[in-house]
Amino acid sequence: MFAEFWQKIKSSPLSILIFSILLLSLGLASLYSIALVQQQPPPNAFSKQSLFLIPAFFLMIIMTILSKRLIHKYIYLIYGIILIAVSIPFLGEQVSGAYRWINTGLEFTVQPSEIAKWVIVIALARYLSDHNLQMRNFSSMIFPLIISLIPTLIVINQPDLGTALVMMLPVITMLFWVGARPFHLFLIVAPFLSILTAFNVTVFTFWAIMLALIIFISKPQLWNGVTLYFGNIFLGLIFPFMWNLLRPHQKNRILTFINPDLDPLGAGYQIIQSKTALGSGGFLGKGWGQGTQTHLKFLPVQESDFIVSVIGEEFGFITLLVMLILFIWMIIKILKLAFTASDRFSGLILVGISTIFAAHLFVNCGMTSGLIPVKGLPLPFISYGGSFLVSCFMMLGLVLNFGREEID
Amino acid sequence: MLRSSNTVSKSRYFILAICIISLNVILAYRFFQLQVLDYDLYSQRSDNNRIRATSIPAPRGLIRDRNGEIIVDNYPTYVVFGIGAEIVDIHKNFSVISHTTGIDTSILRDNYKSYYRNRFLPTRLAKDLTISQLSRLEESKDKLTGIIYKQYPERIFNPRIRASHVLGYLKEINQDMISTKSSTNDYQFGDLIGWSGLERQYESLLRGKKGVSYFQVDSFGREAGNVKGHDNSLPQPGQDIYTTLDITLQELLESEFKGKKGAGIVSNPKTGGILSYVSSPDYAPDLFTGLISKNDWESIITDPDKPLLNRVSNGTYPPGSIYKMVVAFELLEKNFVSTDWEILCTGSYEFYDRTFRCWNEFGHGKVNLEKAIIQSCDVFFYQAIQNVSLDELKIRSKEFLHGIPTNIDLPTEMKGRVPDRQFMNKLYGRWGWSKGALLNISIGQGEILVTPLQMAAYINLLATRGSTYPLHLVQQNKELIESPMVSKRSWKLIGEYMEKTISNTKGTGRRSDPKIQGLKIAGKTGTAENPHGEPHAWFLGYGEKNGEMISVVIMIENGGGGGSVAAPLAKKVFKQYFSRTLTNLVSQ
Repeated sequence: MFAEFWQKIKSSPLSILIFSILLLSLGLASLYSIALVQQQPPPNAFSKQSLFLIPAFFLMIIMTILSKRLIHKYIYLIYGIILIAVSIPFLGEQVSGAYRWINTGLEFTVQPSEIAKWVIVIALARYLSDHNLQMRNFSSMIFPLIISLIPTLIVINQPDLGTALVMMLPVITMLFWVGARPFHLFLIVAPFLSILTAFNVTVFTFWAIMLALIIFISKPQLWNGVTLYFGNIFLGLIFPFMWNLLRPHQKNRILTFINPDLDPLGAGYQIIQSKTALGSGGFLGKGWGQGTQTHLKFLPVQESDFIVSVIGEEFGFITLLVMLILFIWMIIKILKLAFTASDRFSGLILVGISTIFAAHLFVNCGMTSGLIPVKGLPLPFISYGGSFLVSCFMMLGLVLNFGREEID
Repeated sequence: MLRSSNTVSKSRYFILAICIISLNVILAYRFFQLQVLDYDLYSQRSDNNRIRATSIPAPRGLIRDRNGEIIVDNYPTYVVFGIGAEIVDIHKNFSVISHTTGIDTSILRDNYKSYYRNRFLPTRLAKDLTISQLSRLEESKDKLTGIIYKQYPERIFNPRIRASHVLGYLKEINQDMISTKSSTNDYQFGDLIGWSGLERQYESLLRGKKGVSYFQVDSFGREAGNVKGHDNSLPQPGQDIYTTLDITLQELLESEFKGKKGAGIVSNPKTGGILSYVSSPDYAPDLFTGLISKNDWESIITDPDKPLLNRVSNGTYPPGSIYKMVVAFELLEKNFVSTDWEILCTGSYEFYDRTFRCWNEFGHGKVNLEKAIIQSCDVFFYQAIQNVSLDELKIRSKEFLHGIPTNIDLPTEMKGRVPDRQFMNKLYGRWGWSKGALLNISIGQGEILVTPLQMAAYINLLATRGSTYPLHLVQQNKELIESPMVSKRSWKLIGEYMEKTISNTKGTGRRSDPKIQGLKIAGKTGTAENPHGEPHAWFLGYGEKNGEMISVVIMIENGGGGGSVAAPLAKKVFKQYFSRTLTNLVSQ
């Protein structure tokens, strides 16, 4: 039996591990710098992260050698269990204003939504590969959307908008993978864009023109097209109006909901400090352990959400560039495995996981560099955080498993 | 189930790959923008975040007298600061400080409000704490949070003299003054700046250069070590200023002026250096250091004797008879009178329908120029002046420094007033004044006004026969004052007359002579009528012995007769100065 497992591991696309280990080292180097310079005695972020590597590697190996068939068979059950798991924190106490963690009674807490991300992906993969769906029809998309929407809605209420976003994204790419019409996918995204762009007249005008062009090119039935267009425009127009009807404290509540990390020192403080950390690092960085923004604690949540700023400050642009290349390489490699996979189930899982990694990467780096609003999303393999690290290595295990050529 | 084949078009794979690559290109460009293109901006911001500079005050230069004795010194006082971020209960802090040091809580609260910059920077609560106040505060330190002390140098004054109008005072710079002082922008809110007198005139020398110490702070504003690459600079103390003042003479003259209103200047005609400079009444020089109470301030500014007025340089008075030398020079130079030309003084002079009186109502009898100076006969000048035009007299007056600023090294001085035709026309209208005004001016009355300081320059010019230097307190001007265009004979004659004014038994200035062997004194008195009451008593004169010379100007506001009131005061100055040089010579 052991030989069989060994055989399985050996035939896995192990080269993907190189990227994750390089990224992991980068993260640990930064965590060590923080712990050492700021004289934090263990247990600190570095020591805890190192400790979490043990269950992470163990679970990765489990995920690598698990039978695909078994996964396929029980995934709906696991999906059901995970729905309950993400609901459990609501029974417990609020931690930092959110119901996100399950208290295990031990030294650590567990964040089930991290696991839920890829459980949804596998459940979706099973649904999309089991049924011979006519993807030309919009109606075929409804059930997959519901599969990812249910846990998303629960997580939104925790509230954890970042994770919710990551949960919703794989369904788009996976539907695209199985041949959904881009126009249909566009229809899913369009209402959100209508609302988001509504706050700026120029951007909204541009969006309205884009919308009209896309609808025109896609040539839907006349009435469908007209309804779609005006439905979206109406949504965009009504939203700011409704927004202005709200009282200030209601607005604030919604803003805090969208961005729970709003700082007491004022919105934007985190972003300013993060950009300053990055920018002052320059091309080569200030040197390991020399980041003043980091060590004088101007940089907030530096171990987890803003660790990119620590890397940027101490190791410079060149290191961030290398980091991005490592990420692209890894994600594209997973996509390629998805493309070459012989069965649809495996392919879809790989596409979903690559989407999760890509979403984390873009949202995290975009947030720390001030491109997008603050969403508390960590960076895979680099950010501190036990549940997330374990989850990332489990996804890596899935990649190794489903990226394998043979079918057991 | 797993057999459903993975039929994906290559284009879909490529589209996803391109999406991921392009998102990362956006990220890479964003990092490039922040870290390479905008590096300088963020590097600066990062430094601004963490690097704090505090200035170390430079000890201000001392002010010394001509012998090096210190007039204005520094002594350490303590300033109490509060750091907003570290203060737990501000009201408790205030009450503890107030209780231990006796400073009113309202002062603490006002200071905290007006000096507050941000919660991490020390905010000044009180200054001028003595060591004992500080030690009491130190004892109750466990009840205080966020309170620190710093030592500051403060001005302290030689108790022998006041000289407040010369020395001036320091004032805290305010926001408006900082913006006007933009060229020297190392002034900060709350710094002291020379506000008047020598402190203001020599601000740039006295001030020195503040030192800077850099330190690093963390995001809570707590100190976190030194900053690499930023060297601290030590403060450069201000330069000491050696004045020409003679502290002993100043002490004497100040005590003589006690209870009187007026001005006294003693200077060296050969250099222009001022030995003594008194404007009375004055104020304590430390009035403006520390907290001035509202009552003190009210009583100073509402005092009818105007102690804040610098009478020496900024008070203008009619010169009275001391002006007569100017007229005498004009008469001699233009040959309007000869030395034996005589008039008869009967005590008054009828000019058209007006009667002009001599100060001596019984008359001086037969009077020539010599007697007119010695006994200060007014009638002589009423008659002699009639050939002189007002404009010519003005030219002569300016030669003798009337109506001309002395350019003394003090921030302000008045120019005085010498009337000419144009001025009179403007004041009274073309036909509104007559030659009678000229008669009045000839004895230094009427529209002519001078400052005591101008008179010091004038007597120096007379003492040196036209080769004196501008008056100064610190820095000597290397260029001689332009000499009046008068003949040697005139210098000699006027000099003799002024000597006789002192030595003659009927000379008006005889009371100024201390009768010291070898001391020759020359001078002139004046009794200037004015609408404010008693006449102003004037004396100006110079004494010379063994080549050493000083000049004295005394003006006592509403003091009475110059010969009886001002001259005896000058005598004390001469006596002290020249008996001192005698003992000095003996001791050497």
